[in-house]
Amino acid sequence: MTCRKVRKLIPLIAGDDLRPGLARAVRAHIDACPRCRAELEGFRAALAEVKSAAKAEGVPEWGEGEWKALMARVAAEAKKAGGSAGGVAVPSFKPRWAAASALGAVIGLAILSVLFRGPSPRPERTPGEIGMVIASDNPRQDRIAIIMVSPESGLQVVWFLDKNFDFKGEQE
Amino acid sequence: MNETERELITMVLSGRSEAFEPLVTPYRGPILALAYRLTRDREDAREVAQEALLKAFRSLGRFDVSRSFRNWLFQIAANEARDRYRKRSRERAAFDELVDRAPSATTGSAAAGPEAGRDRQELRAGIMRSLAALSPREREVFVLRDLEELDIRETSRVLGCSAISVRVNLSTARRKIRDAIRRDLPHLEEKR
Repeated sequence: MTCRKVRKLIPLIAGDDLRPGLARAVRAHIDACPRCRAELEGFRAALAEVKSAAKAEGVPEWGEGEWKALMARVAAEAKKAGGSAGGVAVPSFKPRWAAASALGAVIGLAILSVLFRGPSPRPERTPGEIGMVIASDNPRQDRIAIIMVSPESGLQVVWFLDKNFDFKGEQE
Repeated sequence: MNETERELITMVLSGRSEAFEPLVTPYRGPILALAYRLTRDREDAREVAQEALLKAFRSLGRFDVSRSFRNWLFQIAANEARDRYRKRSRERAAFDELVDRAPSATTGSAAAGPEAGRDRQELRAGIMRSLAALSPREREVFVLRDLEELDIRETSRVLGCSAISVRVNLSTARRKIRDAIRRDLPHLEEKR
């Protein structure tokens, strides 16, 4: 691993935020490289300064009156919602509205099913007719991997897509 | 999530709204502190925390009990802070421009070193001002991971993004903070 690559990963190794395999490789380099080690120590010290400043910094606190007023608002909301569960207003449909909604949904679905019918069966094509084969009987060609590398941090992520270009997962 | 929280949530959802107060009381301090660290403004923080708790109450029925209740509250607060940031970004931009134009007392005396009589409190404020260099997303990631000490996975869940996105933003945030400290508080570097 080169110094350049390690320097990109130092902000993450400073907080132990690299996955174990990569962290081992970075640490092995840092152990042997005094300049990268100094850079890492600089990052760790800066992080420690910020953490310590944040801990010592006064954060606002609730006034008791303010807290009681907030809880009173919660109670008022609960009352307004008619005592329904946790102030969560559960919509209460009257039967005729429920029937009208159901009817509307059925009609909507019927229209959608007419408008968006599935594709008709495709004619069989021989590989020779197609310029580029993305999907084939070979399972190795049914999976597409896209590798992206962050230029700033040097981190890379691999996205896997299936033959329909549906996202199937990622791997760092 | 512990058993008491589970019981309190059940009570609130069954209509006993008074159970909401004991449910959220353990988190009232942390949620206000988080709001303050994200907004860097006491009044905004209060409003964000209040709104977040009200929203938590309203949407408690949608809470997934397999998740951490604290992290769920943090998620609501982070969303609320982000919304507020967007609303106020124009006002802030104008204000920051004015501040930037004014001679920086922090930088000037920091360069003179601690001997110039700078006390610890001002130094802390200077360090915390380095967070201003971060974008909203970088600040969220930095505050949750480094100040609230959530791990990468928890941070990604709170912010609704991938772990890799958290790492990329965290890396950028730490680098910016390190650069800001190096630039604005050089005596801290020299002390080491």
